[in-house]
Amino acid sequence: MDEKILLVDDERLVLRSIEKTLLRAGFDIETAQDTSTGLSLFEAALTDGKPFDVAILDLHMPNLKGQHDPNAGLELLSRLLEMDTALPIVVLTAFDEVGRAKEAVARGARTYFVKGREAELVEIVNDIINERNEGV
Amino acid sequence: MENNTRLAERRATLLQAAAQVSHNITSILDLEQLLNQAVDIICDAYGFYYAGVFLIDEVGSQDRSDNGWAVLRAGRGEAGATMIAEEHKLKVGGLSMIGAATGQRRALIALDVGEEPVHFKNPHLPDTRSEMALPLLVGDADGGVRVIGALTVQSTEEAAFSDDDITSLQAMADQLAIAIHNARLHAQNQSLLAQAQRRARLLEAAAQVGYDVTSILDLDELLSKAVDIICDVYGFYYAGVFLIDETKEWAVLRTGRGEAGAAMVAQEHRLKVGGQSMIGAATGRRQALIALDVGEEPVHFKNPHLPDTRSEMALPLLVGNETIGALTVQSTKEAAFNDDDITSLQTMADQLAVAINNARLLKELEAAHAELVRTKTFEAIATATIEAIHWIGNKALPISSGVDRLQNDLERLPQADPDLLESMREDLTLIADSARLIVSVQEHLIGPAREEKPRPAMLDDVVKDAAVTLGVPADTISYTVAPDLPLALADTTQLRRALGYVLRNGLEAMEGADEQQIAVEVAPTEDGRFVAVRIADSGAGIPEEDLDKIWAAFYTTKGAKHAGLGLSATLQILQQMDGQVSAANAPDGGAVFELLLPVFDGSLSPAELPADKSILLIDDGDGWSRFVETTLRNAGNTVVRSADGEVDPAIFDLVLLDDALETTGSTEVLKELKAAGASDKTTVVASSLRVERTMKLMQLGAQDVLLKPYTPAALAEIVR
Repeated sequence: MDEKILLVDDERLVLRSIEKTLLRAGFDIETAQDTSTGLSLFEAALTDGKPFDVAILDLHMPNLKGQHDPNAGLELLSRLLEMDTALPIVVLTAFDEVGRAKEAVARGARTYFVKGREAELVEIVNDIINERNEGV
Repeated sequence: MENNTRLAERRATLLQAAAQVSHNITSILDLEQLLNQAVDIICDAYGFYYAGVFLIDEVGSQDRSDNGWAVLRAGRGEAGATMIAEEHKLKVGGLSMIGAATGQRRALIALDVGEEPVHFKNPHLPDTRSEMALPLLVGDADGGVRVIGALTVQSTEEAAFSDDDITSLQAMADQLAIAIHNARLHAQNQSLLAQAQRRARLLEAAAQVGYDVTSILDLDELLSKAVDIICDVYGFYYAGVFLIDETKEWAVLRTGRGEAGAAMVAQEHRLKVGGQSMIGAATGRRQALIALDVGEEPVHFKNPHLPDTRSEMALPLLVGNETIGALTVQSTKEAAFNDDDITSLQTMADQLAVAINNARLLKELEAAHAELVRTKTFEAIATATIEAIHWIGNKALPISSGVDRLQNDLERLPQADPDLLESMREDLTLIADSARLIVSVQEHLIGPAREEKPRPAMLDDVVKDAAVTLGVPADTISYTVAPDLPLALADTTQLRRALGYVLRNGLEAMEGADEQQIAVEVAPTEDGRFVAVRIADSGAGIPEEDLDKIWAAFYTTKGAKHAGLGLSATLQILQQMDGQVSAANAPDGGAVFELLLPVFDGSLSPAELPADKSILLIDDGDGWSRFVETTLRNAGNTVVRSADGEVDPAIFDLVLLDDALETTGSTEVLKELKAAGASDKTTVVASSLRVERTMKLMQLGAQDVLLKPYTPAALAEIVR
């Protein structure tokens, strides 16, 4: 256990709430409120030889240049997959973002989570980890 | 010798008198004055008892068979005045001396008056004993000589004139004739000048009206001021402006001078374009008309409001090729207008037409601007509202999760007071319910406000998709679809949301009822402008007093579990699509909702369909599947339809899967296709796309999830 999860979301309250739920489920969580901090955390973990097992990314955040950008999450998603092609990524979306969600899957996201019941997010992460462990 | 001397003296006297007459009359330019002074001067200079001037009337001379009359125009003394008053005239070429002199164009002498046969014994001039009649001759344009009248000179002496006198007296008469001719030419010039001046004055008035009206930009103000200005400048009794209405059939009085005008405007006075009235004729023929004798002119409308009108002119108001109306101007004088006036008054009417057009264009521009401001304001408010709702919804999300965690924690609290624990649990439930309502309201509020992407759509298919997605059991709902149903113009994502609200409303109304049946009817409206979707349920119906309130946001009769936004969102969605929605109760119970969407009346873009593909269509045998089958087959493709996908997919190039299947779940079908290795050539189509569903289908291996095509061109986009 103690899988490492990277959680990036610019909504402080949402971030902390999801973090608490995942901590209780027994995961090791690191959080970032913007894409550049998220990217730095991911790079540092790789360098330290303790890479993240799963990344959970909000799609709607300030981009790497600090500007508000509806595609910032997609940009970060692509950068993370460049460094770790097998990384399972869960994207957080709003109800009406069909186009962007499809784009995220097309770019290599493992799955999505429509913001709401956090217990479902725990199930999704557990499924991903179980799948990986079974594969191993 | 003595005789010769006397003769020479007499000639000198006569020539002197001729010179005197000539000198005195040639400078007189007024004809009446000339003639009256001439007879006096002649009498005085020659010492005659009487002189008179006859002029041939011009009307008579027009007729060749009739030589006309020589009319006495001036005569010496009381005798002359009396005869003029009696309109004394003599037939040209007749037996009188004047008649003979004018007819024969030569001077005649009657010395013995009592015996001369050609002399008319004139009771007003009883003392005449000698008379000479001298023709008044002028050269005409082609070198000939024209007789314009005759001069009579009379003496109380017998044998007062000799043949020798003729030459000198005729020379004097010739001078008089020239003077008369000059005076007449002068009068003609004066008349031409007066005409030119009138024309100039009317044009000046036109310019004045043009100047005064073109600066007024408010149409109503322009029209009412224009008729006042026109009446004042031209001195007309009445002026009125008619504008042609939108139907192009009627010229409607928009403004008229004074009380008559106000009364007629109040009566909505209008005249048929191209009709019998002067305005009707002026607008129909695009030309100005004059009615001088108003009582007899056939095109004149006898108007009780304007009883004093004796002359009227109707002038069309023209802007380019368009006739925008007509101007009527009326005068209390008979024959107030002539053809010459048309040009200048039409110039004025043209100026007025341009001014009216400018005012109208400005009004349209202002309306467009106001509309733009409204739209922009609405957009700004809508954007701000959506942002606000997003914000509130996002902030509410962690509340639910926080409550979940607290509820778990509560169960593990050691040694807690059971009553206190119970109270805390209740409070947490309250918080959780409130948070859930806030989060769910978010979508109901934002959904209808999303941008519309209207496209041609089969409404029968969209309503069926909505029912399947909502999980309405197939035996609970029936469909009646009109044959040859036209396509409607709708954003199917939004429409399916609206239909979902209405269907859910029906299902809830039937909860607990013995008979549960929803009847859907899809048919064009009678006028052919809309496609109507009627959804009737077998519930208890809507209380009459609630029929209007159900469309209000946050109004619900179903208690706290509903926010009461579904029907309000439905109304908003239909209005945005230029449609309508209404609710009523059926005579035999149950509610009937009717949704109207505009018929798609554009032309379908050409479709570039493939010609040699084999395609598996997984769908119920409904209208949409028949459209897909027919379209693809006609293009030369092989199409096999299956309701459940129990066909070997390996032989097909492409699998088209309808997401809304009545009996089988499309996810189950997709799993089987994936197992058969065919999911990567499977496209799922749905009349509305939602993130969760789309993602689920993509994860199950669908090659793509796309909006359902309802036209050959949209189908071509998917199968290419």
